[in-house]
Amino acid sequence: MRLFKIILSSLITLILVYTLNRGWNLGSPIPPLGKFLDPFHGFWQNATDQGTASKASSIPGLTDKVTIVYDSIGVPHIFATNDNDLYFTQGYVTANDRLWQMEFQTHAAAGRVSEIIGKAALDYDRRQRRLGMVTAAQNAIKSMESNPVSKAMVDSYSKGINAYISTLSYEDYPFEYKLLDYSPEPWSGIKCALLLKSMAQTLNMGEKDLEMTNALSLFGKDMIALLYPDREKVGDPIVDNAGNWKFKPAPMDSVPMALPKELVSLTPTEKSPPDVGSNNWAVSGSRTATGSPLLSNDPHLQLSLPSIWYIIHLNAPGVNTMGASLPGSPAVISGFNDSIAWGVTNAQRDLVDWYKIQFKDASKKEYMSDGTWKAATKVIEKFTVKNGEIFYDTITYTHHGPVVFDESFHQESEAAHFAFRWIAHDPSEEIMTFYKLNRGKNHADYMTALDHYASPAQNFVFASVSGDIAMRIQGKYPVRRNLEGKFILDGTNTSTEWEAYIPNEQNVMYKNPARGFVSSANQYPVDSTYPYYVGGMSFEAYRNRRINTVLSGLTKATVKDMMNLQNDNYNLKAAESLPLFISYLDKAKLNDTEQKALDVLSSWDYYNNIDSEGASYYEAWWDELMPLIWDEMDSAHVAMRRPTTFNTIYLLKHHPSLSFFDVLSTPEKETAAEVVQKALSKGVAAIEEWKKKKSTAPTWGVFKDGFVGHLLRQEALSYHIIHGGNHDIVNAHSRTHGPSWRMVVSLEKSGLKAWGVYPGGQSGNPGSPYYNNMLEPWTKAQYFNMHFAQTVEQLGSVQYSISQLNPAQ
Amino acid sequence: MNFLKQMVITTLICLILQYFLPWWTLVLGAFVGGYLFGETSGKTFLAGFTAVGLLWLVTSLIIDIESQSLLTEKVARLFPTKTPALLFALTALVGGVTGGMGALTGYWSAGFKS
Repeated sequence: MRLFKIILSSLITLILVYTLNRGWNLGSPIPPLGKFLDPFHGFWQNATDQGTASKASSIPGLTDKVTIVYDSIGVPHIFATNDNDLYFTQGYVTANDRLWQMEFQTHAAAGRVSEIIGKAALDYDRRQRRLGMVTAAQNAIKSMESNPVSKAMVDSYSKGINAYISTLSYEDYPFEYKLLDYSPEPWSGIKCALLLKSMAQTLNMGEKDLEMTNALSLFGKDMIALLYPDREKVGDPIVDNAGNWKFKPAPMDSVPMALPKELVSLTPTEKSPPDVGSNNWAVSGSRTATGSPLLSNDPHLQLSLPSIWYIIHLNAPGVNTMGASLPGSPAVISGFNDSIAWGVTNAQRDLVDWYKIQFKDASKKEYMSDGTWKAATKVIEKFTVKNGEIFYDTITYTHHGPVVFDESFHQESEAAHFAFRWIAHDPSEEIMTFYKLNRGKNHADYMTALDHYASPAQNFVFASVSGDIAMRIQGKYPVRRNLEGKFILDGTNTSTEWEAYIPNEQNVMYKNPARGFVSSANQYPVDSTYPYYVGGMSFEAYRNRRINTVLSGLTKATVKDMMNLQNDNYNLKAAESLPLFISYLDKAKLNDTEQKALDVLSSWDYYNNIDSEGASYYEAWWDELMPLIWDEMDSAHVAMRRPTTFNTIYLLKHHPSLSFFDVLSTPEKETAAEVVQKALSKGVAAIEEWKKKKSTAPTWGVFKDGFVGHLLRQEALSYHIIHGGNHDIVNAHSRTHGPSWRMVVSLEKSGLKAWGVYPGGQSGNPGSPYYNNMLEPWTKAQYFNMHFAQTVEQLGSVQYSISQLNPAQ
Repeated sequence: MNFLKQMVITTLICLILQYFLPWWTLVLGAFVGGYLFGETSGKTFLAGFTAVGLLWLVTSLIIDIESQSLLTEKVARLFPTKTPALLFALTALVGGVTGGMGALTGYWSAGFKS
């Protein structure tokens, strides 16, 4: 009996420990409770009210002493004696603040989320692999490793991350590892490549080839030209250099494109949201208060926590640079050094094509190309699934690229196969661009640096202490035939393929233009005399004009002016469209609440400020109008895409009886005026509903309900914020997307000065005050001095802590 | 008196073990406490439960106060617990039950030797 009791209680204890030491899935996943709640090692150990503490450590892999000064917002200022130690330490400190995010993002890029989350992520993972993300990263790392400089950078950076990982035991793991119950794996160069490819994916996937093909079949060529013009009737390209493109363009055959005549019933890949974009500009010293150039950059991405960017200062002999880095990639991406500053916005060019493949038979082993059968390559991808069986997926590759959809993956009722051609599949060495920009001294260095840059195509703004400003729209662009890339392409014929690329020196660029400033905001890149066909995703129509209007009015521009412009809430779209909408209303038909809404709208100043009710009514109206007008596309049995905001407003004004203004769900036939009126009723009703629920006034800040979400989409780790602006506004913060980094640089001869802020914080740890310490200042248009310095001593007054890393003996 | 002794010895051993070793080593500390001072199965379980439960509760409270509840509030909302108070209770309960079972096993093992 006694023995039985011992066995029984031992058994219960063992089962208890086992149960509490592993995670379970009871509808929603539960972390291992014993491990997780243990105050000595579990999540409690991640709670702190401190930043990184001062310490001295011996680190294997360093060759010399490195000093890291953390300032009061947690920015590390790294002082090393050579490049290898510098990038080693960048990897080490970035991992110290952001390890989980770095690994999770690269897992996501590589289609490995199911390893962490389970089979809910399998479809996402398969899509990533089928888009060729891993192949793209492998090609990139091969070319990075063929250059000794970039190889050393990536190797040192990876070693630094691994040196950090090797110091960790369970209690030091970032919070999310404990929550999801897994461990960090060693870092390698391919993960740096994956991260850069995932940025390319975010920025390149706005193409609409399948949707446009469907629209062409259903509406015909003339309607396509009206609904989706290549070039909208709006001025102000990024570079207006009319008549001065004095080079001989690369030759292309002039056989007109055969336009496809079919309907594609695939659900296309997830799109880059239209509110992914950016602003940048540089003002010449001739137009600033100090006489020195000013440069600004704010990239717009989905706002997330841990933050997308990580501010870092890198100092070693031959380099002293600072700015925003991407956790997972060495070097500074948007920043400055003692001599120059640079920043990026997305170029929006069409760098993605879909080729229709004719396979010989269902085995998909051979496909037609120029009259002969070519062998396809089959790649078997393995997926490890948490709490599930290993999954294998066979992907067919053609010479164009992978066949993303087939019988086993989202083929639905589609019979045809399409291969995916994407510029980011090609080998490239973007890291060299940043290596050289970080060390650049003048415009010539900037030009050399950009020659290494292929993808994702960006508008690189530039300014130098010596007084130059410039813009260059850099990327690797296939030379396009007219309309090429707008629709699906014939994959059986090599004459439809990318044959030649625009030579770097013929890319759109200029330096020191007469107007005294350069700017870009994702608009159409160039004047109509540029000799190449420019196809693109939706080009932006409003922010760029507002920026140029404001910059044209500044003759003694200050840093404060730049900050004000980045946070400018003027809604040019509303200023151009609201009077038209109001003129379309039949006032006699308005009910009381609609009449009150109209009064608010009529007295609105067109600023989407947080306390504005007019902004809420306008945006609610607009949000109802788009789906009412383009219901033909939303309800079609095949994928289609709405025309742009700008063109929608243009059509409302100039083609008021266009058939699309008819609302399908009503028996009567609507015109522009009627659809506008219906949208107002629906918009006002939506606001009334909202008011009832929230019992507060619908001011724009609360009505918009800005949201900065944790990467795991856990509400408890995320924040709701009150902030102005919206898409199509310079302060481009829609509910979930917006300025992910704001930087202003004054390139003064007496010493460059810079300010920056982003919606989050330097630490990725939800248990740290540095997780979100910049979030509120960001919503209030506040900036932090970057404390750019040349020596450790100069940082004395702003030093929060100082760490000494020594090579281990 | 033995109840108190069991609690003190359990707390001390667990504190030392947990400082260096994974959480489940607390079973050993509770076992020793129960083995040496256990009087009845009920009392022994309760002493083990209280000792480890309190150790976990007090330690997590200290961390919570030092870190100004930054993470406590977030994790409380992640769990069905929703409030920090319930999160502390859950923490104490998980440590406590494991401690209690360890103590009980110790007590019954002690009985076997006599």
